[in-house]
Amino acid sequence: MEDIKDKNNFLRIFYTYRPVLLVLPALILFIIFFIIPVLSMFVLAFDKPVTGVLDLQGEWTLKSFLRIYNRSLYFNAAVTSVSLAALASLITLIIGYPLAYLIAKTENVTRNTFLMILVLCAMQLDMVIRLFGLMVLMGDNGLINGALMYFNIIEKPIGLMYNKLGVLVGLVQFSLPFMVLSLIGIIRGISPAVVEASRSLGATPNQAFWKIIIPLSMPGILAGTLLVFAISISSYIVPALMGGWKVMVMPLHVYQQIAEMGKWQFGSAIAVVLFCTSLLSVIVYQRVAIRIGGGRA
Amino acid sequence: MSKAKIKEVNELGTLVKIGSGIALAILLIPVFIVVLTGLNSGDHLTFPPEGISLRWIFAFFKSEEFLSAFLFSFGLALITMTLSTIFGTLAAIFITRFSFPGSQLLRALFLSPLILPGIVLGLALYIFYVSTDIGLARSYPGMVIAHMLVTMPYVIGTVSASLFNFDLNLEQAARSLGASPLTAFRKVTLPNISNGVMAGSVFAFIVSFGQFDVSLFMATPNNTPLPIALYWSLRYTFEPTAAAAGIFAIALVVISMLITSKLVNLQKFSGVKFD
Repeated sequence: MEDIKDKNNFLRIFYTYRPVLLVLPALILFIIFFIIPVLSMFVLAFDKPVTGVLDLQGEWTLKSFLRIYNRSLYFNAAVTSVSLAALASLITLIIGYPLAYLIAKTENVTRNTFLMILVLCAMQLDMVIRLFGLMVLMGDNGLINGALMYFNIIEKPIGLMYNKLGVLVGLVQFSLPFMVLSLIGIIRGISPAVVEASRSLGATPNQAFWKIIIPLSMPGILAGTLLVFAISISSYIVPALMGGWKVMVMPLHVYQQIAEMGKWQFGSAIAVVLFCTSLLSVIVYQRVAIRIGGGRA
Repeated sequence: MSKAKIKEVNELGTLVKIGSGIALAILLIPVFIVVLTGLNSGDHLTFPPEGISLRWIFAFFKSEEFLSAFLFSFGLALITMTLSTIFGTLAAIFITRFSFPGSQLLRALFLSPLILPGIVLGLALYIFYVSTDIGLARSYPGMVIAHMLVTMPYVIGTVSASLFNFDLNLEQAARSLGASPLTAFRKVTLPNISNGVMAGSVFAFIVSFGQFDVSLFMATPNNTPLPIALYWSLRYTFEPTAAAAGIFAIALVVISMLITSKLVNLQKFSGVKFD
C-alpha cells in the first residue's frame, strides 16, 4: 500500500516537472563543461603561481594579478589589447554604418537577401582563411607592395603587417559583419515618418541624417561597438597571424604561458583579466540590447 | 515609399554607396584573393598574376596534411551539428514555453559562449580536462564537447525565435481534439518550426567547421581541424595548397548560407536569431 502511494507521488512529481527534462541535457552539459571549468580557471588564477605540470597549490594569493600589473610586458599587452579593440570598434562603426544603412533601406527582397548572404558568408567563413587572403594582400611580397613596386611608386616594400596596423586591419575585417548585423535592425526600425517630419520642417537631408537618423540609431551603434570590442579583444588568431607575434596582446600571452611555459596559474590569471574585460562590455551590451529589443534581446 | 524619402535616399545615396563599397571590399577582397591563390599557376600569387590552373586543387586532393584536416573538420562538424541541434532544440522549447524565475538567466547562460573569449573557454575546458583526468584532454569527445558549447547558442537562438513566431493556439487545438502532448508537438509544432531548427543546425555546422579558438588547446597531430592545420602552415609560408583547401571551405560556407536563405527570412536576421 505504502509502495503504491510512493509510486504515485513519484509519478505526480514526474509529470509536474516533466518539461524540465527538455532542458536537462543542455543544462547538465553547461554546468559540467562550462560553469565548472570557468570556475576552476578562476580558482587557479588565485592560486600560488608555479611552473610545470598543472597542480593546485591550495594557497590563495593575488601574486599572478600583481605580476600582470607590475610587469610592463603584461601591462602593456593589456593596454595594447584594449586600445586595438577600441580602435577597431570605432573604425568598424564608420565603415559598417553605410553598408548597414544600405541593407536596411534596400526593399527589393532579392537584392536584400543577396547582400545579407554576402555579409553572412564573410562572417561565417573560417577566420584563418580570411587572414590567408589578407596576408597575401598585405605581406612584404604581397599584392599591394608588389603593385606599388611594379608601378615604381615605392622602391622597397612598406611594412603593412607584422605590426599594429596589420592587426588593426585584421580586426576590422574580422568584426565588420557583427557591426553591420547589429545596426541593420535598428536602422530599419526608424520610422520614415520621423525623417519626413524633419524634412517638411525644413531640415536638409544632411541635417536629417545627423540630427535624426544617427541619434535614433544610437542603441544599435552602442550595441555594435560593444560587441565588436568584446570579440576583438578576445581574438587570438588575428594578432597571431597579422602581428606575427610582434604585437603582443592578452590572448597571445594566455596561450604562451600555458602551452609553451607551463605556467598554469599565471596563464589563468591573464585569461581571467581577459574574461572580465570582455564580460564587462557584454553586460553593458546586453543592457543596451534589452532596451532595443524591448526585453526580448 | 514617400517622395521625401526617395529624395533623401538619392541625395545621401552617393555617400552611402561609396561607404558600402568600401565595407564590401574589406569583407570580400580577402576571400577573392584566397580563390585566386588556389587557382593561380605560379608558386605564389604575385602582382601581376601569372595564369590559371588547377594544379593546387589536385595538390590539395593528394595532400595528407590538408585533405585529412578538411575531412576531420567535416566529420567533427556533422557530429557537433547533430548533438547541438538535439540538445539546443529541446532547451529552446523549454526556455520559450515555460517562464519561471531565472529563465532569463538560463537564456543568458546558453547564449554566453557566443561572446565570451573562445580562447578562454578553450583554456578553461583544457584545465578541467587535464585536472580531472577523465580522459578528455586532447581527445575527440573532448573536442566535440567544446564545439557543442560554441554552436548551441546558434541553435537555441534560431529555434526560440521560430517558436516565438509560432501560434501556440494551433498546438492547443490539436490537444483539445485529443492528441497527446507528444503527438501534438510532433504533428503540429515541429513542422512549423522545422525551418528554424534546420537553419540552426546549418549554423551549428558552419560555426563548428570554421572554429579556431576553442580547438586551439584541444588539437593534437591526430585530431587537427582544418583551421588549426591552416594556422600552423600559415605561420611559416603561404602554401597555395592551403588556399585550395580554402576554396572548398568557401564553397561550403556559400552553400550553407544559400540553404539558410531558403529556410528563413534573412531580412530578419540579427546576429544569432531570426525574428
